[in-house]
Amino acid sequence: MACSSSALRTISSSSVKLARSSRSASGSPPKTLLPFNLSTPFLPKLAAASPSSSSQSLCSALPRRSFSCKSQAAPAGGDSAPGKVQELCIYEINERDRGSPAILKLSQKPVNSLGDLVPFSNKLYTGDLQKRVGITAGICILIQNKPEKKGDRYEAIFSFYFGDYGHIAVQGPYLTYEDTYLAVTGGSGIFEGATGQVKLQQLIFPFKLFYTFYLKGVKDLPAELLGKPVPPNPSVEPSPAARACEPNATIANFTD
Amino acid sequence: MASATISSSNHSGLASPSPSLRRQAKEISGLNLSGQPRRNPKLTTTTRRRETPSTRAAKLTTRAFFWNKPKPSPEAPKPAKVQELCVYEINERDRGSPAFLRLSEKPVNSLGDLVPFTNKLYSGDLQRRLGVTSGLCVVIQHLPDKGGDRYEAIYSFYFGDYGHISVQGPYLTYQDTFLAVTGGSGIFQGVSGTVKLQQIVFPFKLFYTFYLKGIPNLPAELLGKPVPPSPGVEPSPAAKACEPHATAPNFTN
Repeated sequence: MACSSSALRTISSSSVKLARSSRSASGSPPKTLLPFNLSTPFLPKLAAASPSSSSQSLCSALPRRSFSCKSQAAPAGGDSAPGKVQELCIYEINERDRGSPAILKLSQKPVNSLGDLVPFSNKLYTGDLQKRVGITAGICILIQNKPEKKGDRYEAIFSFYFGDYGHIAVQGPYLTYEDTYLAVTGGSGIFEGATGQVKLQQLIFPFKLFYTFYLKGVKDLPAELLGKPVPPNPSVEPSPAARACEPNATIANFTD
Repeated sequence: MASATISSSNHSGLASPSPSLRRQAKEISGLNLSGQPRRNPKLTTTTRRRETPSTRAAKLTTRAFFWNKPKPSPEAPKPAKVQELCVYEINERDRGSPAFLRLSEKPVNSLGDLVPFTNKLYSGDLQRRLGVTSGLCVVIQHLPDKGGDRYEAIYSFYFGDYGHISVQGPYLTYQDTFLAVTGGSGIFQGVSGTVKLQQIVFPFKLFYTFYLKGIPNLPAELLGKPVPPSPGVEPSPAAKACEPHATAPNFTN
């Protein structure tokens, strides 16, 4: 997950997915945008005090084909596991109404240190932001603070809940300063037997994240989860109907 | 001898074949998996000019690389069927479990509370002590209208010398759930699937039904006819006392 520091603007962060911190988004030069299928894109990591404060619209800059990141997603070395790879895009949004995250400074040190734990739970929407699907739930274990990157490394173990469809369990690195891939460790319901990986992209640290799942071993996913994703950018918002959980804008028994 | 000739082809610059390729190469060559000649080597009965072992092995290794590509599944040796495994988890209150860490510092269960736990594990027929469960429940939310809580549970089931199964998923104190089987060791190595969690007596007795894929057939002593779950179920006295005939080998404790 190499990233060139010149394109990456870091912010000082002392916590992850913190609901209350406000960071000033100082003016910065536009980022070099790399297409998705080359490496992780560098999106400005603005912790917006208000959701509409993004000054950069990245929608037009991202090509449609960017959602097939086969070079990173395709297993290396001619893996011939049965079934094709299915891509599933999902938005995780912290609307600050679930008491999340709960930062447990158990290390009792002033700076983020091994010993700190961060249980969390946020809302999940389909990639096209038209339907509320459920929640994420799990824990981030702080591993180390990286002062030179102005961020932290966490080990994240959590699940994505999709209402009646089931859930997907993941585990892997969460770096507050760059995008990462986590392992899909399993699932239930339609995701039973799932393997693969999921790409985590932070849009607004720590409130909005965009995930691209590369799933193997699952049957064809239902169409309502596969709508054309809204290209990730800091100002994306769920549709008002989805946010209000109107019946036509949720999946069956969405997890809440 | 055959394995020596196969490995000699590695020095010729070919990439070292994976174990599955070696196996295929041996099967093609008419040798069994130990490298001994097979009784009916069908593939070597065709009329062909005589090959020396070294040229045959070199050809087979090369061919095996190309033959492997179209194969749809590298996991052919493992059965694709689903195996069901039933176990009981019982908190006998002698392991200091659960350890409810009220780290949220709120009066009601809230995000931030953590609950490490470990309980005893018995076979579905309640005749054998198998081991323990151990792991962590993360409180996600309290649901007053359901009279319970949602946890994210990450833990393992230990089966003594048989190995372990790791799971992750939702634990709702007010209803049954399905968790994901994330992996395993020992006889459960490579496992995938789901497990159904049923609470019988909250939080002391739970009944699990595993739906496991990708592992060899489970041993009979784990597959006894399960006792139907009900609040009054108890392990057999012998299992509870961990008498030698009533436990899994080196049951985890």
